Amino acid sequence: MWRFLGTRIAMGAFTIWITTILVTLLIHAVPGDPVQIMYAQSQGTTPEQIEEVRRSLGLDRPIPVQYVMYMERLLQGDLGATIRGGQPVLEVILQRLPNTLLLAIAAMFIAIVIGVPLGFLAAYREGTLTDIALMIVAIAGISMPHFWLGLMLLFFFALELGWLPVSGNGWLNLVLPALTLGLSNAAIFARLTRSSMIDVMSQDYVQTAFAKGLPKALVLRRHVLRAGLLPVVTMMGLQFAFMMGGAIVVENIFSWNGVGRMAVEAIFQRDYPIIQGFILTFSVVVVCVAIGIDALYAVLDPRIRRS
Amino acid sequence: MTILHTNLRRLAGATALAAGLASSVAADDIVWARYGDIDSLDPHRATSTLSLQVWSLMYDTLLATDADGLPVPHFAKSWESNADGTEYTFSLQDGVMCHDGTPLDANDVKYTIDTAFSEDTPSLTKGSWGPITAAEVVDPLTIKLTLETPFVALIPFLADSFSSIICDSNGEGFGTTSAIGSGPWKLVSWTKGDRIVLEKNPDYQNFGKLAENPGAPHEDGLIITVVPEPQARLAALTTGEVHIAEPPFDDVPMIKDEGELSIIVAENTGQNVFWEFAVHRPPFNDVRARLAVAHATDAATAISLIYGDLSVPENCPVSRGVFGNDQDFCAQYRPAYDPEKSKELLAELGYSMDNPLETALLVWTGGNRQKLGEVFQAQLAEVGIKASIEIMDIGSLNARVRQENENTEGTTGSMDMMTWSWYDPDILYALWHTPGAYRGYTSPELDAMLDDTRVLTDPDARKAKVQEVFKYLLENAIHVPLYTPGWEWVFAVRPEVEGFFVAPFVYPNFSDVKLGG
Repeated sequence: MWRFLGTRIAMGAFTIWITTILVTLLIHAVPGDPVQIMYAQSQGTTPEQIEEVRRSLGLDRPIPVQYVMYMERLLQGDLGATIRGGQPVLEVILQRLPNTLLLAIAAMFIAIVIGVPLGFLAAYREGTLTDIALMIVAIAGISMPHFWLGLMLLFFFALELGWLPVSGNGWLNLVLPALTLGLSNAAIFARLTRSSMIDVMSQDYVQTAFAKGLPKALVLRRHVLRAGLLPVVTMMGLQFAFMMGGAIVVENIFSWNGVGRMAVEAIFQRDYPIIQGFILTFSVVVVCVAIGIDALYAVLDPRIRRS
Repeated sequence: MTILHTNLRRLAGATALAAGLASSVAADDIVWARYGDIDSLDPHRATSTLSLQVWSLMYDTLLATDADGLPVPHFAKSWESNADGTEYTFSLQDGVMCHDGTPLDANDVKYTIDTAFSEDTPSLTKGSWGPITAAEVVDPLTIKLTLETPFVALIPFLADSFSSIICDSNGEGFGTTSAIGSGPWKLVSWTKGDRIVLEKNPDYQNFGKLAENPGAPHEDGLIITVVPEPQARLAALTTGEVHIAEPPFDDVPMIKDEGELSIIVAENTGQNVFWEFAVHRPPFNDVRARLAVAHATDAATAISLIYGDLSVPENCPVSRGVFGNDQDFCAQYRPAYDPEKSKELLAELGYSMDNPLETALLVWTGGNRQKLGEVFQAQLAEVGIKASIEIMDIGSLNARVRQENENTEGTTGSMDMMTWSWYDPDILYALWHTPGAYRGYTSPELDAMLDDTRVLTDPDARKAKVQEVFKYLLENAIHVPLYTPGWEWVFAVRPEVEGFFVAPFVYPNFSDVKLGG
């Protein structure tokens, strides 16, 4: 198992290393002079200031040198300063990252609590009207864009019913964005749980258990559930990355002060140090979650531990 | 239903209160929601309208702007300059206090200017202060500025929040966690990306800022929140979470019909939306091609179609509220809507309906400008100009326009609907004096005129010169004005808010605001 985890961690580190290269190159992918674009909206910026920024970003050096400089600073925990306002990027990101993680975790919780039992129910009632109805709802859930679902929830719960606030960052404010992100993911989990359960139920050992005359509930609990949930656990890792991405849209609708919204603002303002920092942070979070999920997987599935 | 609705809302409110976790908005705080946040609390570190609007609440300036957009005394009760316009002496109001209780005097003004010109970290707007070589404290209530060469735009600059006076007691954390000014509102906290909390400065004295209130604001607190999604801003206005916000543009007619929220439109914003062209290659290196576009454009019809009465046509290269603007004067020279004339010019150049003049039409995204662009596209098509619209954010647009101007080899034309706002015609210097902000049209003749607009200290003489520049830009169809205002100028206000207004150059003012029942 340790070897398995060691490989995963090495792969994760490699992924992050690749990201650092891409992030350094990002600034050069922009057509034209990136510093000019960054300052395109600023009145009265002098050519000397532009030159100074170019120097401070190291853009006057060859690309490999720029990369070494970037890595040197990065290893010291320095992600540079924002173009607008000149604050340390790391500070700006760390201030908001907990909000996004909180949102993603709450959404994941909602997705699992709603999605897995419904998927299980559908599998249990495979082929019945319940199954069909649940899967139709799930398809609708998957197809609904976050943007639309978010606005609908906002209109209904905040505007019509007045139960929840429209914007802000308190606990009550978490409900609507977490629901928006969670519901569409619940649909994904429901479908996955269903198909995985059905798959396991057709396995020989389950059929044997049934043939022995064990009660259905016992078979499901003892033999099917644990095996059937394995793909769901894998999916959790993947979905977490998607949720972090979905947070970009949802945070904007609900004025949730997370890194997703920060990234959107930074992109519009051409604040490259923030965009670079965001991509890097994002990849680190996703890689960490993936490794965590792999570890969990190993705990749940003895076959992986032994391999 | 209504009762149920109200009860549910009360219930929700009670739950929130019990949980003690709802946003801590006191009943008597004004809440203003905007789409984005400030970049910095330090007036030397940012240039965005969002930042300027907040500074105008927290800091004082030497001068203020009157309803017409002209500079008037404020913290400086009077000023005089020498005959050459290279020395300005300001005598200051006595007894003004910074938010930390230290006096605001000439030392603070000197501190502000010295910081702006600091070697290591000069102000982002250092250039706009002009060629100041020294700021000298004559006595605590007198400050003297010495300039290398005359720079007339200094006076309107000193009325704008770019020149906010920073108290010299500011130190560690200034700009991010703290900010000591002397304005009507004091900083309580700033949560980046979320909200700025301000409380009233009980000692405030208003000498020249546009407000009826001569002293401290009526309400205790002002919270400026960030709500990026327009529909969410409207929802928050409806529920009462927010008092004032920019509404979604397409919903303005509905809001007006319903009549609960009032719509306030900023005037004298200085915002100018205009045509400009890539002039270093065909077809727009020929003045006839530019004039053909200008004559084919019916701005009045297009605006009323898209914006109703929220915006008006503008004849001058700097908009209403800015020095030199004169609709009648400019109307004489701005190419009028005349499609026949346009066709004639195009025919001279060898174009026809079968062989149309082809050009890209670059438009800044948002504010329904893409729809407006389509109307203009249709108008241009009627005379035989085939414009393909490209929509992009303002950063890309600025960079692209410069690229197009630097590209002398291209085969199709490029024109764009550019947007600029400034408090003085000096903006024309930035745009059209060699080398030009976008490397666009320049000429020695125009350079000479623009140079004069910076040094003529006599207002009448300067006005005449500024208008000469207008005439040149209009006749040569270099800067073809279309309309004003054009962005972030519409506010929706809840019925309990009294006394809210927007001062020239889009500075919302909260000193007169009272939250009624």
